[in-house]
Amino acid sequence: MPRKVFDGVDYDDGYDDDYDYDDLDDADYYGKAQPSEPVKETIKRGTWSCPICTYDNDESMTACDICGVFRNPLPHMNNNHDKKTATAKTSDSSSAKTQWSKTNNVEDNNHVKDGVLRLQANNKASASSSISKESIPSMESSSKLSTGNEQLGDQVSGASSRRNRMGEGTPSVEEIRPQSHNRGMSKSDLPSKSRAPYKPEKWMLPEKEGSDLNQLNLAIVGHVDSGKSTLSGRLLHLLGRISQKQMHKYEKEAKIQGKGSFAYAWALDESPEERERGITMTVGVAYFDTKNYHVVVLDSPGHKDFIPNMISGATQADAAILVIDASIGSFEAGVDPTKGQTREHAQLIRSFGVDQLIVAINKMDVVEYSKERYDTIKQKLGAFLRLCGFKDLSVLWIPLSAMENQNLVSASSDARLRSWYQGPHLLDAIDSLQPPTRDISKPVVMPVCDVVKSQSTGQVSAIGKLASGALRSGSKVLVMPSGDVGTVRSLERDSRPCTVARAGDNVSVVLHGVEETNIMSGDVLCHPEFPVPTAKHVELKVLVLDGSAPIVIGSQLEFHVHHAKEAARVVKIISLLDPKTGKASKKTPRCLVAKQSAILEVVLNGSVCAEEYSNCKALGRVSLRSLGRTVAVGVITRLIED
Amino acid sequence: MKIVRRDLVRDGPGSVKMVPVDSDDLWFAYNLIAPGDSVMAVTVRKVLREAASGGRDAERVKLKLEIKVEAVDYDKVGTVLRIRGKNVLENEHVKIGAFHTLEIELQRPFVLRKGVWDSLALDVLHQASDPGASADLAVVLMQEGLAHILLVGRSMTTTRARIETSIPRKHGPAIAGYDSALNKFFENVLQAFLKHIDFSVVRCAVIASPGFTKFHRHLLLEAERRQLRPIIENKSRIILVHTSSGYKHSLREVLDAPNVMNMIKDTKAAQEVRALKDFFDMLSNDPDRACYGPKHVEVAHERLAIQTLLITDDLFRNADVETRKKYVNLVESVKGSGGTAHIFSSMHISGEQLAQLTGIAAVLRFPLPDLEDIEM
Repeated sequence: MPRKVFDGVDYDDGYDDDYDYDDLDDADYYGKAQPSEPVKETIKRGTWSCPICTYDNDESMTACDICGVFRNPLPHMNNNHDKKTATAKTSDSSSAKTQWSKTNNVEDNNHVKDGVLRLQANNKASASSSISKESIPSMESSSKLSTGNEQLGDQVSGASSRRNRMGEGTPSVEEIRPQSHNRGMSKSDLPSKSRAPYKPEKWMLPEKEGSDLNQLNLAIVGHVDSGKSTLSGRLLHLLGRISQKQMHKYEKEAKIQGKGSFAYAWALDESPEERERGITMTVGVAYFDTKNYHVVVLDSPGHKDFIPNMISGATQADAAILVIDASIGSFEAGVDPTKGQTREHAQLIRSFGVDQLIVAINKMDVVEYSKERYDTIKQKLGAFLRLCGFKDLSVLWIPLSAMENQNLVSASSDARLRSWYQGPHLLDAIDSLQPPTRDISKPVVMPVCDVVKSQSTGQVSAIGKLASGALRSGSKVLVMPSGDVGTVRSLERDSRPCTVARAGDNVSVVLHGVEETNIMSGDVLCHPEFPVPTAKHVELKVLVLDGSAPIVIGSQLEFHVHHAKEAARVVKIISLLDPKTGKASKKTPRCLVAKQSAILEVVLNGSVCAEEYSNCKALGRVSLRSLGRTVAVGVITRLIED
Repeated sequence: MKIVRRDLVRDGPGSVKMVPVDSDDLWFAYNLIAPGDSVMAVTVRKVLREAASGGRDAERVKLKLEIKVEAVDYDKVGTVLRIRGKNVLENEHVKIGAFHTLEIELQRPFVLRKGVWDSLALDVLHQASDPGASADLAVVLMQEGLAHILLVGRSMTTTRARIETSIPRKHGPAIAGYDSALNKFFENVLQAFLKHIDFSVVRCAVIASPGFTKFHRHLLLEAERRQLRPIIENKSRIILVHTSSGYKHSLREVLDAPNVMNMIKDTKAAQEVRALKDFFDMLSNDPDRACYGPKHVEVAHERLAIQTLLITDDLFRNADVETRKKYVNLVESVKGSGGTAHIFSSMHISGEQLAQLTGIAAVLRFPLPDLEDIEM
């Protein structure tokens, strides 16, 4: 079905498109030499390609015909990596031969640069000679290569990736040091990047389907006082997660404080300050189970000042519930472009890649369950959501009332609502969401949302959602950017210990061997051999939201990526992008105004762990804020070394 | 700055004897002294003398030197002004042409002799000698886990302290950890507050934060508990302002807030912030009426389109004589044609921002759309 209205730029789609198709054609896009789908190319058997002059030599030749470079100059090098190089070759999946030769040439430059000419030539040559069946899905290798790219921060990352692959297990590995700027880490300390393609172990892959429920991270967002915490509390209570006794206790305490109506919200807002003020300040996490999913509820604050916390929670989300207050006046206040949070939340959620949205129109009891009110809201908000980039099909509209428990876990009992609404109730809607795709086969990456040091046991635990890969007790992890290596002592999910945590799981990891001062919210846990790069100078592709002040060179903004935030400064506006085609339309514009998309460079005050969006989505999404408003959202296109 | 003797001709040569009183005056001196001028002051020099026995003896001698300035260096952290140049006055210990580095100190007079006292220099001199009250505002910019203590002076903003801690979130049983970490953070900020903020110098102290960080209450409670006189006496001089974050650039919002604005509206800092805000507003509403960058501003000036000129003092200081003259002419002609020229101190938050925006910007009288096509 063709999209009827297309006014705005779609955040996620546009980026995905670029990265899938442009890499082969556009010489400007570098670092994306690896397309995400493995294209199994048969390499011509019986020939090997000389790394220097790219001439295809016959199998029988021991040295290149044209340039004379030996194929296997140092025999003792072959032993330890012969098997591994084999696998690498097969993931040379770019279809065009030109790509191959192009990287060859570039690689040559790098060889000369590094002075490991012969070794590289040798490795590559041996790899081409032994083409065997791939033992691992080529997906990982390509992804690993991508992470390898960032490690070196090379301009010509496409080439370096090839080189990485080729140089597995050889002494050249030590010479190629990643040049990331790390907090408290020198170059030599960083563990050198393993060239072996990442191979997920058997325990990481999920067991047979159906035995375990999928995890779904659900963010609850909306304007302040729309009823998010109350809704979550209600759901938890109805599904039996909160005992009756607990509920009574909350009710009693709430009444004492004079906040009787907040009784359900208190299930999520646990700190005394939140209860006293009647708001949520940080993201409240709770768990419940539906028919198809283990749902992790991320109850976000709605208040304008706490949007950085909301961003922290929303980066973990797979789907979202946007809660709207249906009462007269409140809805209008919520969608107000400058003061309301409904719009800003919807835009932020969209920019984090969430494409499935449930709009819960709450407090319907106040408006007497009127259909007209529901329709007006749906129409007004629907137009806006379409502008944001949500497809009509993936948005579900549910009228409900959290206070009166209507239409939450079972069809509504109220006659007025039943007369005109026959759609699914909230729990059904949650069940009908599509399961998100999980990157289990990539090396483990877990952005740390929170660090808790338990007073009694003195253990340090990191809480967050695994963006990719898997962990289990005993695995070694590397904390970036501090560089500490620790071991996983135990994993906890939903206050229950669990053995394995996979991508998409929201867990609490108890670490051993990591000092409390070396790990902070905003850090990233990763595999020791596949460290996540850090950067201070990044290039971004952003979309400027409306209602914000213009961005000029020198604008000072706050940079948010996964859970980390830093003060940042725009140093260069590289070009404007045409929203329809996505190509550069104007070089070095003077300033950026609302609704424009552009490529710009920012310099941060401190280094953060980040990755290009094409390599790791969770670490590549950014939002820029200034003066209490979100000014722009975008993705990282390049990490720049200084 | 106390001007002791003034002996100059407008747009001509002359000399001025002055005594710097506080660190702001050193900043003014930094702006006044340019390479090519000569400065005479009392200084200490290590002199080598041949002793009778043949060994060399180094002696520190206090003498009056006049040097021709080659380089001026302002040390922000130590607030010291160093002038390096060649000696031009005949002296028994120091030869003419020998290099020497003078340190301008507070409460010590020095004489500045310039070849040309242009209007800008006279402006600076006038400002320096103005005994008007200094802005002096102490600002505590906070957010959960991060705090900056800044001193906004007449012509410069200095960061006195920066405190950063990691505060864990509250997840169930770990709430106690949150509270204790927060208290420790507040304690640190309180200590820094007491150490750096001297109520006899500053007019008022501003506590600025997003949402609401319970620091103010904590401050008052602790003051009561520990009987901290300075805070108790000046309770009324502590104001609360809302900002969007605790990062340094939020200082703009602090200076914009109405209750703070009232206190400092007559000072340069406030005017600068307002002028820059106007520029950004114009840039967002009608981009053709605002321009930045030396080329654009020049073109706009040729067409007599400049209504308000914003320029940082950085540009004057580092430029050679030709460029400096050009900028001075620019400023004078803008003023002459009925516009206003604001010279931003690059040590202030707004000046820093303008400096990152190439250092020169203008709000125009009428829109000039074809500026877009001219290369910057």
